Amino acid sequence: MVVVGLASCFGCQINLTNAEAHLMDILSQVDVEYWQLTSSDPMPEDFDIAVIEGAVTTKEAAETVKALRGIADTVITIGACANTGGIPGLAAEGAGYEERIAAVYGATVPAACGTMVAPSAVGEHIAVDYEVACCPVEPLDFARVLQHALYGSNVQQLTATLCGECKRNERGCFYEDGTLCLGLVTRCGCGARCPSLGRPCKGCAGLSADANLKGARAISAGCGIPTGRFEEVLRIFNHGEGGGDSTEARSEREG
Amino acid sequence: MARTAINVDHVARVEGHGDIHLRIEGGQVTRCELAVVEPARLFEAMVAHRSFREAAYVASRVCGICSASHVVTDLRAVEAIFGVVPTDRTEALREMLIYGSYLQNHATHLFVFAAPDFLGRPSVFPVAETDPVLFDRALGLKALGNELCCAVGGRSIHPITAVVGGFTHELSAAEYLALAEKLEAAQEFAVQAVDLFNGFTVPDLATEGDMLAMVKPGEYPVCDSNTVRFVRAGYEFDCQAVNDEIEEYAVDHSAALLARAKRTGTPYMTAALARLNASWEHLSKTARYAAAKAGLRPLELNPYRNNVAQAVELVDALERCARLCRRLAADEFEGTSVPVAYEVRAGRGIGFTEAPRGCLFHELELDEDGTVLRASIITPTAQNVANLEADMRRLAEAMIAAGASDDELQLRIEELVRAYDPCLSCSVH
Repeated sequence: MVVVGLASCFGCQINLTNAEAHLMDILSQVDVEYWQLTSSDPMPEDFDIAVIEGAVTTKEAAETVKALRGIADTVITIGACANTGGIPGLAAEGAGYEERIAAVYGATVPAACGTMVAPSAVGEHIAVDYEVACCPVEPLDFARVLQHALYGSNVQQLTATLCGECKRNERGCFYEDGTLCLGLVTRCGCGARCPSLGRPCKGCAGLSADANLKGARAISAGCGIPTGRFEEVLRIFNHGEGGGDSTEARSEREG
Repeated sequence: MARTAINVDHVARVEGHGDIHLRIEGGQVTRCELAVVEPARLFEAMVAHRSFREAAYVASRVCGICSASHVVTDLRAVEAIFGVVPTDRTEALREMLIYGSYLQNHATHLFVFAAPDFLGRPSVFPVAETDPVLFDRALGLKALGNELCCAVGGRSIHPITAVVGGFTHELSAAEYLALAEKLEAAQEFAVQAVDLFNGFTVPDLATEGDMLAMVKPGEYPVCDSNTVRFVRAGYEFDCQAVNDEIEEYAVDHSAALLARAKRTGTPYMTAALARLNASWEHLSKTARYAAAKAGLRPLELNPYRNNVAQAVELVDALERCARLCRRLAADEFEGTSVPVAYEVRAGRGIGFTEAPRGCLFHELELDEDGTVLRASIITPTAQNVANLEADMRRLAEAMIAAGASDDELQLRIEELVRAYDPCLSCSVH
């Protein structure tokens, strides 16, 4: 297995090591041949599994993921940056990417930045076999996905929205006091961690396959939340028209 | 003329992507660069036109290790603009959140990133076999840092509960007391860690640059002072004047902007070592004794000793957090942590904290609706790169003069880079 980081905070890689008590049990199932964050062993020529963290933000990174796909039998992306473009993807929202580069670096971009391109998810460049959701990923979610990849499993990916998960926690609802929460449309699986600690969901797990965006917008508007606010928060993690939802799936869902 | 070059692509066991380029011609160092090739994510530009409500949430994602510091620093910038004064209890919780990230960061850096160099291993994982007791206790300390961040922030990385004016969730008194006991139980190993890292042989090197740290009379502050001190030049300034005192500049080989002191034009180091040099006498008792035993006292200028300084801060963090937990359980702080009421208003403000790797500044400018007009982030690593390059050059010159081999030089340079504990993803942001 190799672990590669692209444009990210490195938090998902760090969080893999945060499985401390189970770390060696997880990693001893594979040979970790390359992991720049934790080891000075060099990148091998051949490997079976590539774990990728981070968004693609340079032409060089796009080539890297293609090269990894060319060698690995299995590609696992970890975290929102890799799965949806995540937080780096915010740089390409609204005002535009080129303007933001100029805002940070002025007229001369250092050569060390590489050839910058608008941020995108790894899945827009190569086929991805498994995704580990959220910002950051939970270490045991990674363990589950790795084991699925290694040994197979008939467990299907969860499709329901976070809202149901949250209801079972019986914490009440943010919409009762007119606070926007994206649990309505976000993929479940995290246990509604943020809402249970008093913060509304921002959608880091990505859109649920059951998401009814049209309905969610209506609920949000009905609670007095300005229309633009829903889109502003939706696009923290879910980019493009309809928050990265494919047009086909969206029209089917929104009927 | 004898020529040699040392090139390391993607230095291992650091957070982010950096390359080392060193060229030596006729015994002279003619090129010495830490090329920061980390992809730019443009944080300062991406939070513009967005609500202040998400500014800290987004800024947290600058860094996976010191996310707690980015959140608290960003909240402080917003609070400086709105004139929010958090309660003592909120301040205590923020301090604990920052210390939690010290435990996480220092334990990860010392044991996962730095120690393999001195143990002659490519990574920490073989240590699970060769020295299982050390491995378990080292990772146990790191896990305790995660637990502390989870307890206060709701998650080990990217805290959930810290918001403008307070916290959205708190532990029970019983949970604080249980945590205090765990923190106290970890103290013994942290003291041993100081001895362990003090025992590793490092080159004799004195940085020529300055040292920058937060200071507060009678304290070893991490998040509740506005005063910054250049330790060697001997002057202080208010964090709101950071742009008048620190100059950021671009170089072609780094996606991170570098920094120097405007008054003196010198590069500088900001890190655990700078904090120790600035506030040594205010370390908690056990930490001060451990530092004294290790011979680590001001003014310590060897950047490799940052490893020992971090180990001393592990001891300090455990002692302070155990005390904070007991005081929180006993309800000794004024007020609750429920977010205080505030009014949104326009203005410009700078948040300042001591992140695990040093001084961190977030500047925000908001309009009357609380929409971000402009943001600027100065991270510890960005400030350190220029000084690190100067140290790399001095080390290389000394080692070449002493007839060191290329392999030896490369290892020592890599160790030096790691001793600074750079976070390159932070530095570019």
